[in-house]
Amino acid sequence: MPLYRCVVPELFLFVSFLGVSNCAAEDWYRWRGPDGDGISRETDWKCDWAGEGPDIAWSRSVGTGFSSVVVKDDRVFTLGHVDDQDKVYCINVADGEIIWTFGYPAELDDRDFEGGPISTPTIDGDRLYVMGRAGELFCLQISDGSKMWGINVADEAEVRLPGWGFSAAPLVIGDRLLLNVGESGVLVDKHSGDLIWSSDDRECGYASPVLIPNSDPTVAVIASGKAYIGVDVQSGEQLWAERWLTSFNCNAADPIFHDGKMLLCSGYNRGAALFDIGGTTPELIWKSKEMKNQIHTSILYQGYLYGIDGDMEAGARLRCMDWATGEIRWSVDDLRPGGLAMADGKLLLLTEPGELIIAPATPDGWEPIARGQVLDGKSWTSPVLSGGRIFCRSIQGQLVCIDCRD
Amino acid sequence: MPIQRRSFLAGTAAAATLASAPAIHAASKNKQYRTALIGAGWWGMNILREAMAGGQTKVVALCDVDSDRLEINAEEVTDLSGDTPRIYRDYRELFEKEDVEIAIIATPDHWHALNALAAIQAGAHVFIEKPTGHTIGESQAVLAASQAADRLVQVGLHRRIGPHHVSGMKFLKDGGAGDIGLVRMFVHSRGGAEKPTRNSEPPENLDWDMYCGPAPLRPYCRRIHPGGFRHFLDFANGTLGDWGVHWLDQMLWWSDQQSPDSVHSTGGRPIAGQAVLNDEEQTTDAPDHQTATYEFDSFTATWEHRKFAGQGPEQTSIGCYFFGTQGTFHIGWRDGWTFYPADSKKQVIHQDAELQEPDGHNLKLLYADFLRAIETGSRPVADITVGHQATTLALLGMLSMKLGRSVRWDAGAQQIVGDDEANGMLRRKYRQPWSYPEIG
Repeated sequence: MPLYRCVVPELFLFVSFLGVSNCAAEDWYRWRGPDGDGISRETDWKCDWAGEGPDIAWSRSVGTGFSSVVVKDDRVFTLGHVDDQDKVYCINVADGEIIWTFGYPAELDDRDFEGGPISTPTIDGDRLYVMGRAGELFCLQISDGSKMWGINVADEAEVRLPGWGFSAAPLVIGDRLLLNVGESGVLVDKHSGDLIWSSDDRECGYASPVLIPNSDPTVAVIASGKAYIGVDVQSGEQLWAERWLTSFNCNAADPIFHDGKMLLCSGYNRGAALFDIGGTTPELIWKSKEMKNQIHTSILYQGYLYGIDGDMEAGARLRCMDWATGEIRWSVDDLRPGGLAMADGKLLLLTEPGELIIAPATPDGWEPIARGQVLDGKSWTSPVLSGGRIFCRSIQGQLVCIDCRD
Repeated sequence: MPIQRRSFLAGTAAAATLASAPAIHAASKNKQYRTALIGAGWWGMNILREAMAGGQTKVVALCDVDSDRLEINAEEVTDLSGDTPRIYRDYRELFEKEDVEIAIIATPDHWHALNALAAIQAGAHVFIEKPTGHTIGESQAVLAASQAADRLVQVGLHRRIGPHHVSGMKFLKDGGAGDIGLVRMFVHSRGGAEKPTRNSEPPENLDWDMYCGPAPLRPYCRRIHPGGFRHFLDFANGTLGDWGVHWLDQMLWWSDQQSPDSVHSTGGRPIAGQAVLNDEEQTTDAPDHQTATYEFDSFTATWEHRKFAGQGPEQTSIGCYFFGTQGTFHIGWRDGWTFYPADSKKQVIHQDAELQEPDGHNLKLLYADFLRAIETGSRPVADITVGHQATTLALLGMLSMKLGRSVRWDAGAQQIVGDDEANGMLRRKYRQPWSYPEIG
């Protein structure tokens, strides 16, 4: 079942601090973090939980859903479904107090899964962009949650909803907002919501759009139901389509780019493939059935992919795969992984039953250094580390803030 | 094992044939069987992979009503073997155009008989998934046709050959549990109320009319396909028609294929809720729990499944208990087999399962046995007579539950005794233009 999903490396006018060991708190302003790789650059956090267990600073109910959180200026934002509404929550990181909420009418739509919103909002300056499952798109003022504009982007673009609804995070590109809606995306003006271009009325996938680093003209790769498509962001033109079929049109993992190569990965026995994207169309380097990301995008770190392989309902595996060759280095089959993040060379694994496990990210194996129960109930959302705290969320809407500051 | 390749065709349908794709072959014997897979889904591909890994399979064709699945799975066949199978939407066209020596059939249950009969008519030996029919008459037709044409049919009852099943059965037949008076077969899982799934237009890649085939044409919803047909009674027979066939077969194996004198079953959907089927939405309609009692001359066998409450206080959630004078013998799935002596001072005896992962089957052994049977002209271990009998018992349970009374079964005559209404339920009405298979 595809779920919450979201953002992407936006290397647009973005000054990267790559390579600099940056200990300062870092805003996690979008899905998969500032670098769009699922890795926090923070180092000032600790996980010596022996004895007491993790320090849960606060716990808040944010409604049913799979949305992850974004964090800026000591405020944390997420989405959840409560009483016939999807609600956007703005919560004070320090004490867990709700600063504001913004609701819009929405169905829980819990056919086939628990329901509720499945995308993660995106922060851009003093604005928050929110995408609902049925195509609702809002621009909110971060300070007080007031609505700057709102549209239904599926209606505007006259395209159908995918089976489980829209799940991609909005991607800010300069003055534009790129959405995974329609066959190969929709671009709107981020200041007004006006449509700039749209794509054909075909099922979109569930992955968030990702820009190919250093591409000129800027190219985004967008998951449709049946392909990953290279799109010229300026014009919306499809430059190439890498056919990529799964059951249920469920392409949910974001493409990963590194060193002139692109990794695609889906569940339902699709598997993974690495492509050279140096030419006009992707050229296959290797493919493998050994990594099948049904929902979660893998994390690439020092030449190795760390990812969740297999069907979440049936019990997935945590695996380490060599980026260059596709060889599996290790696999842990009995963890019941629910979501994955990374910081300071360590994997942060949230298990489906709500345990948070910390282990060094190494191809040599899975050797946890800390673990603790942080949630009660099914958890399929990636944890987020920002400002020395780890945020974890269950499907039923328990959001906890774990204080890991030194 | 990752497949290294440096060739790529953007947007082409089936994968390009690549000289560099490594063929995966076991120690190859000379004979390569031209093999077609009908129903190229999850389980069909499990069988086909084992067939290919066995080294005597040349995949000539795949058939499915879902063009996406065909494309994905044809690509996988090419990756694994270097062969480029031709792809078909309609099995009739496949048998018309291809020279098939072995047909693997893994479609939804309501297609099994028509697919198998076409394969037999085309001269192929058949590896067919259980059950061997959606109604008893279909299974009877497959049995009769295969015998008349002298074609081998191996039924996908891999628990006939799995190592712990073989050793467990030896333990039982050697009298390890003493005299058996009662066999209890069961599968339990967790679950609750079922919410309807919204109907939608069938996906563009799915030939929904052909999917439904001889079954009623109902609105499409994604809960049905892929992989959800088992709990829609138009297409299958719920848990008893799925898991039940395996465990009934274990009981029949132990009893040397005896037949029950009478069958009685009840079940319903008190937890899942009333089945829904309208223009807007639908649910499954198979029972969320069911019990069935099979009365044999010298013992009683019961079936029980529920899709709620989980394992509960018991040690296991799946398998068969054989209750005997010496104690209780459990044969299971991932938990192997265990004997609990009636005399508590005696040691519990246990044997672990040996299964092929990720799906926990023993298809490799079953397929090898099938090929051995073809080569030697002997009977395969789970041949059609075996599969037909286990299928019949499952379907008699379904029939009794729907009918609301017990039925007496005459295995020789292949009929229900003295109940015209019940006998009428051995067949079903087919949707035009499909015709119900007749014997002879």
